Amino acid sequence: MRKLVLWLLVLAVWETLSRVSPWIPSAVGILQRVAANLTDTEILSSLGRSLLRMAVGFLGVFVLGIGTGLLLGKFRLLDEIFGTAAMALHAMPGAAWVPLAVLLFGLTQWAVIFTVLLGATGIVMVSTSAGIKEVPPLLLRAARTMGARGAKIFWHVVVPSAVPRIVDGLRLAWAFGWRALMAGELMIGSLKGMGEILSRVAKQRDLHEILAFMIIIAVVSVVIDHLLFRRMERLVKTRWGTA
Amino acid sequence: MLVKLEKVSKKFSHNGSGIEVLKEIDLEISEGEFVCLVGPTGCGKSTLINLIAGLEMPTSGRVLVGGVSVTGPGTDRVVVFQEAALFPWLNVRANVEFGLKMSGMPAEDRRKKSTEYLKMVHLTRFADFYPHQLSGGMKQRVAIARALAMNPKILLMDEPFAALDAQTRRLLHEELLEIWQQTRKTIFFVTHNVREATVLADKVLTISARPGRIKGGTTIRLPRPRRESDPHLIVIQQRILLSLQEEIAKVVKDEDLDYLVEKTSPVASGSGGLGNAL
Ligand SMILES: Nc1ncnc2c1ncn2[C@@H]1O[C@H](COP(=O)(O)OP(=O)(O)O)[C@@H](O)[C@H]1O
Ligand SMILES: [Mg+2]
Repeated sequence: MRKLVLWLLVLAVWETLSRVSPWIPSAVGILQRVAANLTDTEILSSLGRSLLRMAVGFLGVFVLGIGTGLLLGKFRLLDEIFGTAAMALHAMPGAAWVPLAVLLFGLTQWAVIFTVLLGATGIVMVSTSAGIKEVPPLLLRAARTMGARGAKIFWHVVVPSAVPRIVDGLRLAWAFGWRALMAGELMIGSLKGMGEILSRVAKQRDLHEILAFMIIIAVVSVVIDHLLFRRMERLVKTRWGTA
Repeated sequence: MLVKLEKVSKKFSHNGSGIEVLKEIDLEISEGEFVCLVGPTGCGKSTLINLIAGLEMPTSGRVLVGGVSVTGPGTDRVVVFQEAALFPWLNVRANVEFGLKMSGMPAEDRRKKSTEYLKMVHLTRFADFYPHQLSGGMKQRVAIARALAMNPKILLMDEPFAALDAQTRRLLHEELLEIWQQTRKTIFFVTHNVREATVLADKVLTISARPGRIKGGTTIRLPRPRRESDPHLIVIQQRILLSLQEEIAKVVKDEDLDYLVEKTSPVASGSGGLGNAL
C-alpha cells in the first residue's frame, strides 16, 4: 500500500515534468501504450511465444543445472575438473552465447532456447553444488545413527538440505534466463517474440513505444518472479530456517 | 553388561600435534540403567557419546555393546543431540518415521509406530507441524520420539536439555523419567548440570578435564520423582560439585595459560625445546 502511494507520487512528478519539458516522455502516454499493447492479440501472442521459449529453456536449466550441480557437489574429482568451468559458465553474460547458438542452430527457436539454457544453467549448477557441500554435519550424524547410509543419506538428507540454495539458484536463473532470452530474440530478429517487437519498434524511433515495451518486458519478468520464485523462496526459507 | 568401555582413549590431531581428549576410560552400563555423566564443557562428553554411537572410533581400547565391538553407527544406539537435529523439510510425523523408513518398514507400520511414540511424548496434535513451528522443548520431544521409534537398546543423550529454560527442562525431566519407566530403556545421559544429573540418574559419573578420565561414581537410591531441593539430594550434589570443582579450576587455569602463551609468542614457538629441557 505504501509502495503504491510512492509509485503514484513518482508518476505524478514525472508527468508534471513531461508537461514542462518536451524532452521528457509522458508517463500517462507510456502507460496508455502499455495498456493498449497488452490488449492487442498480436502482441499477446508474441509474448506467449517468448514465454513458451523461456519455459522450455528453463526446464532445461532446471534439469541440467540441478543434475550437474549434484554431480559436482557429490564427486570431488568432477568438482576439481569442472568446478572452474561452472564458475566461468556462470560468469558469462547470456548474450555472449547468441553467436554460437546461431552457428549451431541457425536463426531458429532452438538458438534462443540454447542461449537461455547456457545463460542460466551456470548459476543453478554453482548454487546446487554449494548447497550439497554445506549440509549440516549434525544432520548427517543424526541420519547415520538412524541407520541411513550412502545413497539413502544422499537422497534423503543431502539433497533436501540443499533445497534452499537450489531455489536461490533457480530464482536468479529466471532473471538471467529472461535477459538471455531477450538478447537472443533481439539479435535473431526473425522469430516472433518480445525481443523481435522491441527491435522492430526501435527502428520506428518511437520513444513512447520503446519505453512501453521495455516496461512490459520488465514487468512480466518481475510478476513471474513474485508469483512463483519469491513465494517458493519464502516458503523454503521459513521451513528450512535459513531466513 | 550392555555397554562396556575398556581403556578407551581418544586423540584428535590438530595440525600435527595431537590432543588427548579421553584417556583410558573404563565404563560399564547395565541393561535398564539410567546413567548420567557430568563434566565441565570441553572435557570430552560428546566425544564419549560419539564413541559409543560409533560416529567416532577410539584411538585405543574397545567399546563393546552387548558384548560386540562397535565398528560404526547402529540403530541399537540412537543419539539425542543438544540441537534436536530434526530434518527441517519433514514434518513431525515424518521426522519420527525417518529411521523406520531408512530400514525399509512399510508405510502403514511406520504410521502405527509414529502414532505410538508421538503419543508417548504428548505431541499427537502436532504431527503435521514442521520443526520451525515448534518450541525448543517440543523439538527435543520429537527427537526423543524419533530415537525411541528405532527401538534402540540404549538411548544416548548429549546435553539434550541444555538449551531449554528451567521450567521446560523440569517438565522434560518428568516426561523422560516416565518414558524410561514405561519402556525400561537403558539411558546414558551426558550433562554439565549436576542438579539435572542427580534428579534423573541411578548412577552419576564424573569426568575430569584434559585428559578426560572417569573420576568416580555416585549411586543414588532416592525414589523418583525427585525434587532438586530435596536435602538428601543437595548433599549428593555438593559432593559431586566438590569433585568437579578441581576440574573446572583446571579448565580455567589452562585457558589462562593459553592466553599467557599467546601474549609471549616468541617463547611459545620455542616451547617444545623448553619442555624437553625441563
Ligand atoms: N573432531 C574433532 N577434532 C578435533 N578436536 C575435537 C574434535 N571433537 C572434539 N574435539 C576437542 O575435544 C575436546 C572435547 O570436546 P567435546 O567432546 O565436544 O566436549 P564436551 O562435549 O564435554 O563439551 C574439545 O577440546 C574439542 O575441541
Ligand atoms: Mg558436548
